[in-house]
Amino acid sequence: MQVTLMQGILIGIFAIIAGIDFWWEGFYIFRPMIVCTITGLILGNLTLGIVAAGLTELAFAGLTPVGGTQPPNPIMAGIMTVVLAYTTGKSPATAIGLALPFSILMQYIILFYYSAFSVLTKKLDTYAAKGETKKFTQLALLPTWIVGLSYGIIAFLCVYGAQAPMKDLVNSMPVWLSHGFEIAGSILPAVGFGLLLKSMLKAKYVPYLLIGFTAACFIKFGNLMPVAIIGVALALIEYNRSKKDVENEKKMKAVMENVNNDGDDEDGI
Amino acid sequence: MESKNTETTPKRGKLTKHDVKMLGVRSLFNQSAMNYERMQADGWTLAMMPALKKIYKNDEKGLADSLKANLQFINTNNYTAPLLMGLEASLEENGEKRSTIDGLRIALFGPLAGIGDAITWFTILPIVAGITASFAKQGSVLGPLIFFLVYVAMFFARIPIAQLGYTTGTKAISKIRENSAIVSHAASVLGCTVIGGLIATYVQITVKTKIPVSAGHTIALQTQFFDRIFPNILPLGYTFLLYWLLKKKNVSPVILILATFIFAILFSWLGVL
Repeated sequence: MQVTLMQGILIGIFAIIAGIDFWWEGFYIFRPMIVCTITGLILGNLTLGIVAAGLTELAFAGLTPVGGTQPPNPIMAGIMTVVLAYTTGKSPATAIGLALPFSILMQYIILFYYSAFSVLTKKLDTYAAKGETKKFTQLALLPTWIVGLSYGIIAFLCVYGAQAPMKDLVNSMPVWLSHGFEIAGSILPAVGFGLLLKSMLKAKYVPYLLIGFTAACFIKFGNLMPVAIIGVALALIEYNRSKKDVENEKKMKAVMENVNNDGDDEDGI
Repeated sequence: MESKNTETTPKRGKLTKHDVKMLGVRSLFNQSAMNYERMQADGWTLAMMPALKKIYKNDEKGLADSLKANLQFINTNNYTAPLLMGLEASLEENGEKRSTIDGLRIALFGPLAGIGDAITWFTILPIVAGITASFAKQGSVLGPLIFFLVYVAMFFARIPIAQLGYTTGTKAISKIRENSAIVSHAASVLGCTVIGGLIATYVQITVKTKIPVSAGHTIALQTQFFDRIFPNILPLGYTFLLYWLLKKKNVSPVILILATFIFAILFSWLGVL
């Protein structure tokens, strides 16, 4: 299957919107769940888009822009996973792996912008000091438009320009290599979960991880709802317990102070 | 100084309900000029600007001072930012000292980032992604649809969050400090439980190797060995290996992604996976 010029342009326009959304973290249409679905819709194969959305979303679950860091780019990953699955006829799981270089390319472009936009700060200081709010607004929004435009151009070039060479490359791959990409695609969520655990997991949370893991292994249900409910229950138990602990600690402190005061009095007597 | 204070500080404008609402919506601009020098500061100031303009009215110097002060380094979570914006707006409106306002903002953005990230990125996202992905994998449009609706609701939650910051004002600070530890603890419990479930459901490693025991009799490593110890033991083990490398060895995620690919392709070539 081939991506037409019109489809390439539409994907480019969507990339501008999603790119700005990612820059602002507004409506989360930058997540692969939405990006893949819309790309599938534009290419006329919605089901392919939705299936790829589920796979790619999870592969990127832990790759989050927390604390000003930049993960491999979810927008380019989402777009290219669907486009490569569509043009080469490979499964979405294989396509996730093939899309990765595009995702990392965009990650580095955004990192470059983080540094580059530091040059604007001096000018913004001057506008602020003079109270020139209009000029301040225009300049403070400039990075957003630059980023959005970059997404549009790069997405269009990758989708439309690179499809023929990518197709040749993929078709010339031996079976073990494309199977390797497919396996990697299904192991990849582990990196994301590892990253999530890096920021969350402390020794005291290991039991909960094990409960969730075991529950999911043995509860045969279409989605993760049962595990989420068990999690909510555990969280509520812990919330109430910690609250009580804090209150008790306050009471203990008050009691201790009284005792100390009494003690002083007795010494005085 | 005394005489100057009485000249500039009184007569501040009052924000209407609509202004506070708009502050919540404008918190969207928080990252509009993200950069390494002072992270969200430029966008933060852009979001605060109409509120500050209204508060300082004709006091040009007051407005300029406030804008300059807001341009100091800030890096917080995008859903707790409106809380802090509402709080700051109420302080500016009450004519608190510049140093008090700036001190509070600087003291609070870090803890608020911690609790916000714990709730939005580490709890809500994995849960929503996990559940909607299970629909999407079957090709059901419910997956992306639910995902989208949840995050539209999350966007509009910025408005009550800003109002909360504005109305509770300084009272909020001790409350935030007291409760943030408990709330992020409970969120971490929920998050870890769900991530445990996600590891079991979505990381897939299936070994194909069969070991010949005697003539005509083989043992399939996956079904007759690993699955008998515990299902999904390999995904759990691999995730913990990555966790250990990330946490203790400080390996970059990009290296681990590449290593996973090399590992997968190598084992595919060997016929193990």
